[in-house]
Amino acid sequence: MGKDISMRALKRTRALPGGGKFSWYKLGNTLTPYLFLLIPLILYLIWVIGPMLYTFYLSLTRWDGMTPPVFYSANPLRNYQRLFRDPVFAISLRNNLRWMISFITIPVVMGLALAMALNRSLPGAKFIKASFYSPMVLSLVVCGLIWSWMYHPARGLINEVLRFLTNNPNLTIGWLSDSQLVMWAIIAVAVWRQVGYVMVLYLAGLQGIDPGLIDATKVDGANGWQTFRHVIFPLLGPVTVIVVVISIIDSLRAFDLVSVMTRGGPYNSSSVLANYMYIQAFNNYRMGYSSAIAVVLFLISLVFIFIYLWHILQDELEY
Amino acid sequence: MSTKQFFRSPWRVLGFIVLVILMLMWLVPFFSALMTAVRTNEDIMRRGFWALPNEITLENFRVAWDRGNLKRYIPNSFIITIPALVGTLFLSSLSAYALARFRFKGNRFILFLYVGGMMLPFQVLMMPVFRLTDALGLYNTHLGIILFHTAFQLGFCTFLLRNYMRTVPNEILEAARIDGCSEFRIWWQIMMPLTVPALAALATLEFTWIFNDYLWAIVLLQDDNLKPVTAGLATLQGQYVMDWTVIVAGALIATVPTVILFIFLQRYFIEGLTLGATK
Amino acid sequence: MKKTWFMFIALVLLLSFGMISCAGEAEIVERIVERTVEVEVERTVEVEVERTVEVEVERLTDRRVLIYNSYMSDPSVREADEALVAMFQEMHPEIRIQHSTVAHEDFKHAIRAYLTASTPPDVMTWFAGNRARFFTERGLIMDISDVWEAEGWNEDYPAGFRAMSTTDGKQYFLPTSWYWWAVYYRTDIFDDHGLQPPETWEEFLEVCETLKANGITPITIGTRYRWTTAAWFDYLNMRVNGPEFHINLMMGEESYEDPRVLRVFTDYWAPLIENGYFIDHPAAYTWSEALQFMSNGEAAMYLMGDFLRDVYPQDEVDLIDFFRFPIIDPDVPIGEDAPTDGFFIAADSRNPEDAKKFLAFLGSVEAQQYLADNLGRLPTHLGVDMSNFTDMQRKGLELIQGADFVAQFYDRDTTEEMADVGMNGFMEFWDNPGNIESILAQLEFAREDLFAED
Repeated sequence: MGKDISMRALKRTRALPGGGKFSWYKLGNTLTPYLFLLIPLILYLIWVIGPMLYTFYLSLTRWDGMTPPVFYSANPLRNYQRLFRDPVFAISLRNNLRWMISFITIPVVMGLALAMALNRSLPGAKFIKASFYSPMVLSLVVCGLIWSWMYHPARGLINEVLRFLTNNPNLTIGWLSDSQLVMWAIIAVAVWRQVGYVMVLYLAGLQGIDPGLIDATKVDGANGWQTFRHVIFPLLGPVTVIVVVISIIDSLRAFDLVSVMTRGGPYNSSSVLANYMYIQAFNNYRMGYSSAIAVVLFLISLVFIFIYLWHILQDELEY
Repeated sequence: MSTKQFFRSPWRVLGFIVLVILMLMWLVPFFSALMTAVRTNEDIMRRGFWALPNEITLENFRVAWDRGNLKRYIPNSFIITIPALVGTLFLSSLSAYALARFRFKGNRFILFLYVGGMMLPFQVLMMPVFRLTDALGLYNTHLGIILFHTAFQLGFCTFLLRNYMRTVPNEILEAARIDGCSEFRIWWQIMMPLTVPALAALATLEFTWIFNDYLWAIVLLQDDNLKPVTAGLATLQGQYVMDWTVIVAGALIATVPTVILFIFLQRYFIEGLTLGATK
Repeated sequence: MKKTWFMFIALVLLLSFGMISCAGEAEIVERIVERTVEVEVERTVEVEVERTVEVEVERLTDRRVLIYNSYMSDPSVREADEALVAMFQEMHPEIRIQHSTVAHEDFKHAIRAYLTASTPPDVMTWFAGNRARFFTERGLIMDISDVWEAEGWNEDYPAGFRAMSTTDGKQYFLPTSWYWWAVYYRTDIFDDHGLQPPETWEEFLEVCETLKANGITPITIGTRYRWTTAAWFDYLNMRVNGPEFHINLMMGEESYEDPRVLRVFTDYWAPLIENGYFIDHPAAYTWSEALQFMSNGEAAMYLMGDFLRDVYPQDEVDLIDFFRFPIIDPDVPIGEDAPTDGFFIAADSRNPEDAKKFLAFLGSVEAQQYLADNLGRLPTHLGVDMSNFTDMQRKGLELIQGADFVAQFYDRDTTEEMADVGMNGFMEFWDNPGNIESILAQLEFAREDLFAED
């Protein structure tokens, strides 16, 4: 549908230098989109893109945040070299990947399943939906706090349940103190929080599907799973794309839960890039180094931005 | 389907039981937050946090309100959130309209800028943005933080609204064009009313985000008279002493506006996200 | 037609944007109005308009604003802080203090923004010693030698505190209160098992052994936020190698791979961990969550600062006492940790006159007496009357006075970056005591990197 407009716009632009009379009207039309963009874009360039570019520059300097940044003139990439030798950076990167993989699988499957289950007149459906969404409303500080009590080795609810199930009264698992477990324990909280959000997005998507279509496939003799597999899920494709994009963004920017629950500990085993960056910048006074982490993080997300843009580009060529 | 009908199949009964168990798992933390907020710190210290409280007290809410000085901070939260929210929705609907409805030089690139900014880990921008705000003379003013939030949220809003606006059938707009409407009028009188569900959905999300922001508030504001409620809540955390009962009570107070907004806009929330997602 | 529409809407856009922006300014305007309203009430009697305008201007400049940002967010400390501001306001009604309290952790992160802003807060709270010197060296803290001189602090403050505030012969800082670290213990548990507070390392190990044999975990610790481990390192290193070596290590002048450092871990710290003298999974708890094990009687001792007593259930706090960290080598001078807090004025303060008045007040006997009486912290001013001190305060004071050297604390004595790496190392050591050599090699690598940069 965008085509008509663009075709017309194209014709107009071509007409301009071609020789016809100069027309304010035509010029106005070519300029229209730019006028729409003028104010938002200026604001955005000043407050977001500007500081972002400055961050790129800072990543080549040593800066304590107070005295002027010192450019590493002898070896501008010094921060990056240090970064690739830094074991904590490697740990953080790996943790971000774990986070991302968990995020684009578990909440998506669970959220979708819940949405399917709740997208009918169940007794108390509204209340159930609200319950699953409730973690989103609680502040992250409170979430982190309550979960660190859930994970309490001696008196946490989780260990209590495990003790009951395994019949082993001496079982104490230090969910947040074991360097092997801690990241998964935090990711579990993040997933727990995310499920409700994904569920709402899918519920929204399901309401956009024409019930007649589903009835029709049932008449054709398809069973529930087949209907879901071949009709509903493909129709939910665009929602899934949005969900995945949001999940990737969230997992790359993961910060609050780690910062509240462990601050990356014990000894960096639950560090993620955003958190490591924050500690370097605001705890250790190394803004230059932390900018380098940010740039790398940005470059990683760039891959996903391109995949996403390519996806919509493909999609929209069909118009 | 009535309840009775629904439970005719034993599988459904089983499924429903599983669902309810899951739901309880999701509610436990919320419930324990409420529990914590009505207990005393000493009770927790002595009997652990999973024990049922001996007595229920609303004292924590009062202490959070007084010590956190929430009366002073809450109005600030609205003074910051509402203009930023209106500003970002208004401006992003402008840019989304341009990006969704016109093919012009730089369209893709500008979209890329918006999506890219959305992906950026924002913590790193803190010092540069602080420098900029200070240089513009906006440090420690509401205007500074409002402008920043407005600008920073433009990426996500533009991205979502653009997708949404592409779903509006072209015929509607074409008809208006033939009638000789200018593009700005089409945007305001035709596109905007059609976009209301998406705007409402975004308003809910954005309100939650801006209202709950804390990091930017402490970097861009220095005076307690200007800071939002999140900053007031944070001061409940001491260097050594954490009055968890009071902190949780305060956090619960601060979620009230978000919950109210969510209840009001809930209908739109679902609808708005739908259309944007399924083209 | 088209063109007019187009111009019109563009104009509306600009205007509405302007309105949005103004909404933010409204508050500022409001605050100015608020201030003038105060004056207007008074001038209702007066008739001459011109004169009242003059009065108004005068009043506004008269009531000078002093910005004071504080990190005192612990409940009781915060109350005392607010009370001090109120006391000063009463003495100087012509100055209006704009007092902001920021959560402690976040204050540490935001202070660089405060200090470099074009309108910095005039007076701020901060840590004495190296952490203040860091800003002094960058020219961000005002020289207050004149206040020290005028208030007679050069004589009224112990030389140690004066030295702590001095850089290149000038005073930049005002230390006002401090507290001690010690091993806190449950007197009732000790009594039940016939134990005496240990003075030497051997006695300490015996106490641990007895407690453990009786099913009580000797020592509790919550290391989730790491700094509690640093206290163990501080004390063990000072007791084994002496305070001088310790402080040189903190300054980056000694190597972490020095065999003397290794000995601290292998001979003293590791046996405590391996013998199970500490609670299980300390990293799962914050320091105050770990206090639960002490209050419910599962554990008996905790190496902690005096703020422990603020958090301990108040009706049982009498069961708590403390003893000096046991002596390991009697030939080594005694070092203690006693973190000191205080105040400074930003170099770019807009109102240095009033800031100095405020500082003079904070450093006065009156203000310090208030803190000592109400907060149980120890004063720095020699003139403070100690007759009302509690037994705990007296004992704490003796503890520190009996020391040959007073350190601040690991993360205050060394740099932030080094403390970050160091405390991670301690945490890793806790999990894998056998890896200590490679952990110390990492710390040494960081030390060379970080201290070489300066």
